[in-house]
Amino acid sequence: MQKIKDILKEFSTEYIEDYKKIWIKSKLTTSDSLLSVAKALKEEGLRSLSTVSPTDFPDTDTIEMNYFFEDLQTKRNLWLKCDIPREIEKCEIASLTPLFASANWHEREAFSMFGVRFLNHPDLRPIIASEDFKGKAPFRRDFDWDAHEKDTMIHMKMIVDAFKEEQENNEINLDADSSEMVLNWGPTHPASGPIRLRIHTDGEEIISVDPDIGYVWRALEHLVTKKDFIGAIVAVERLCFMDNINSMVGYSMAVEEIAGTEITPFAKWMRVLLGEVARVSSHVMGLGGFFNNLGLHTLFMWNMDMREFFLDFLESYSGARIATAAIEPGGVRYGLDMTMFDELQKAIEKFDEGIDEVYTIFVQNPTMKMRAKQVGQLSADDIEDFGLSGIVARGSGVKTDIRMDEPYAAYDEVDMEYITQKDGTSYDRFVMLFEELKQSVNIIRQAKKHIEDGVASGAFNPTKDHMVKVPKKLPKGEAISRVEWARGEVLMHLVTQEKSSKPYRLKLRAPSFNHTMMLDHLLKDKTLSDVPLVFGSLYICQGDLDR
Amino acid sequence: MLKILDFFNYAQSESLWMAHFCTGCCSLEMAAAMGPRYDWERYGYLPTPTPRQADVLMITGLVSKKILPALLRTYAQMPEPKYVVALGACSFDGGPYNDSLSVIKNPTEILPADVFIAGCPPKPEAIIEGLEQIKQKIKNKIPSAASQGGLWKEMDF
Repeated sequence: MQKIKDILKEFSTEYIEDYKKIWIKSKLTTSDSLLSVAKALKEEGLRSLSTVSPTDFPDTDTIEMNYFFEDLQTKRNLWLKCDIPREIEKCEIASLTPLFASANWHEREAFSMFGVRFLNHPDLRPIIASEDFKGKAPFRRDFDWDAHEKDTMIHMKMIVDAFKEEQENNEINLDADSSEMVLNWGPTHPASGPIRLRIHTDGEEIISVDPDIGYVWRALEHLVTKKDFIGAIVAVERLCFMDNINSMVGYSMAVEEIAGTEITPFAKWMRVLLGEVARVSSHVMGLGGFFNNLGLHTLFMWNMDMREFFLDFLESYSGARIATAAIEPGGVRYGLDMTMFDELQKAIEKFDEGIDEVYTIFVQNPTMKMRAKQVGQLSADDIEDFGLSGIVARGSGVKTDIRMDEPYAAYDEVDMEYITQKDGTSYDRFVMLFEELKQSVNIIRQAKKHIEDGVASGAFNPTKDHMVKVPKKLPKGEAISRVEWARGEVLMHLVTQEKSSKPYRLKLRAPSFNHTMMLDHLLKDKTLSDVPLVFGSLYICQGDLDR
Repeated sequence: MLKILDFFNYAQSESLWMAHFCTGCCSLEMAAAMGPRYDWERYGYLPTPTPRQADVLMITGLVSKKILPALLRTYAQMPEPKYVVALGACSFDGGPYNDSLSVIKNPTEILPADVFIAGCPPKPEAIIEGLEQIKQKIKNKIPSAASQGGLWKEMDF
C-alpha cells in the first residue's frame, strides 16, 4: 500500500487517503498526468482496471472521472479521481485502453453515456445505447428525456435503418469471390438470449467476433436517480434476476456506508444466507445452460427441479420466487419465521440427493470433457489484463473472491476456501460452477446453523433484529461497495447530494461486460460450432451486460 | 366439412409451439414453466428454435427499442394463424422500467397481445393458465389480436 502512495506522491494530487481496509483514494489535480500515473501503477502491479465511472456535476461545470484499479494478486486497490471540463467540445481525457485492455468497453460506455472522448482509444464506437442516442449523452443531468421520448417512432426507424445499412455494407465490403461472410449470431438464436454477435467467418473458421449489445438496455443507472433510496432497490435487483439478492446487498452496503449505519449481526447472517441461496439458484441454471448449449437438456431439467426447492424458500421468506426485494438499506426486509427453515432444509436435502449423480454423469462426462477442454482457454495473465472475475477468473487459477478479499456481511466469520482450477478452459469453468455450488450449499448450512444457534441462545431476535432504521435523506457523500456476485465482481459507486432523498449517481460495474469483451479473443481461429460452447462457459447474463 | 375444420382448430390448440425468443427477464420463469415441476409439455406446449414452426410468440417482459425490430421480424416469420402472449408488467406499460426511456412502454400497442399475464415476473402457474386461454381462443375461432390491428402493420422492420 505504501508503494502506491509513494507513486501518487510523485504527482500533484489533492489528497491521498486510506479508504476501507484495502483501498487508497486519491484525486489528481489535473487530468494530464493520468496516463503517466497509470503507467507507474501498472508497473507496480495494479494490472486490472475495474471500471471507469464519470459523474456529472453541472453546477461546477465538471465531469469527475473515477478509475478503480485493482491488483488481484496482492489485493491492493486504488480509487483514482480527476476532473475534466464538461463542455462537449473540451470533454476529453487520455484513454487507458492501450495500457489496460480491460478499459476498452468501459471507456466506450462512458463515451456513449456521458460524451467523454477518450484520446487514442483504438475503437471508440458507441456501445449499449441504441442508435437514437448516437452523439448524445443520455446520462448527463441536463439531458432532456421527455423531449427525446416524443420522437420514439422516428427513433425506431433510425434503429431499423442503421441495421439494414450495416447488413448492406457487409455485402459490399466483403470480397464476392471469397468464402467470407458476416453472420448474425442472435438475438433469436436459442442459445444466445438478447445479444447479437457479428461473426466474421471464412467458411467455418472465425476471423473476428464483434458483439453488439444493448438489447435489454434499461438505463438502470439513470433509473435509480429517479427513485428514492428504498425504491432504487427495485432497479438494482433487476440487474439480473438469476442472482438478485447479492446485487441488492451491494447497493445497501453503499447506502449504509454513507448513512453511517451499522446493521445487526442477524441481518448480516441473513444476507449471507439469502445471498448464497440466490447464488445456488443462479449456478444451477449456469450448469444446465452449459449443457443446453451443447444440445443436451437433461441436466437443465434436473437442475430446474433442484432450483425450485431453493426458490420455495425465497418465496416463503419474501412472498416472491424471484423478484424478492428482500434486502434493503438497514438490513433485510422481513423478519424470519423459524419454520421457514423447514423449506430450506428440504432444499438442502434435495441438493444432497442429486448432486453426486450430477457429478458422475455430467461433470465426469468423457465426451464433454474432450470437447470443452479444447476451447475457451484463458491464461492467468488474460484474467488480470482484462479484469475478469468470478468463476472465469478462478477457473484460470487466479485466487480472487470478494467474499474473502474484502469480506462483507458476515463472510469474515464464514469458514470457506478459495476454489480454483488450473487450465482456464471451458471445462474448468464448468467444474468451477459445480464446485462453487457445493461450497455455497456448505455456506448455507453454516449460516443456517449460526442463525438457529443464535435464536436458541437468545442472541438473535428473528422478528425484530432484521432492520435498523436508515434515514430517508442522506448526507452528501460517496461510497463504493464490492460484492462477489454469482458471475463475478460487482462494484457499485454511489454518489449522494446534501439532504437528498435520491441517489445522485450509481455506477454499476457488472462482470458480464468484461467477459463478453473476451469473446473475440477466445473465438478467433476457432470454428462456428464452438460459439455456443464458449459463450455458455463464460456464464454471461444479458441483464447485467446491458444494465 | 364443419367437423373437419373443428378438428384442425382442436389439433392446433392442443399442440401450441412457441418461438424461442426472449426479450427480457420473464424468460426465467418461462424456463421454470418448462422445468419438471410445472412441465408445460403436459399441455402440449413446446419451445421451438425457429419461428417458422411456431404458433405463439411470447413477449417475455420488457421490450427495448433495440430489440423491437427483431421481435417484429420474428413475428412476421411465423406462419398464420399466430398468437401473441404478453408476459409481465413490462409488456403492458413498462412496469418497473416505466421511467426508463430505452424501454418501450406500450409494446402491445405496436404488436397487440391476445393474452396478458400479470406479475413481475409471472409465476409459472400463471403462464400456463395464460396459454390455456389461448387454447380457448383458438377453439372458439376468435381471430388473433395482432391480425386485427396494431402499429406493426405500418412499421418498417
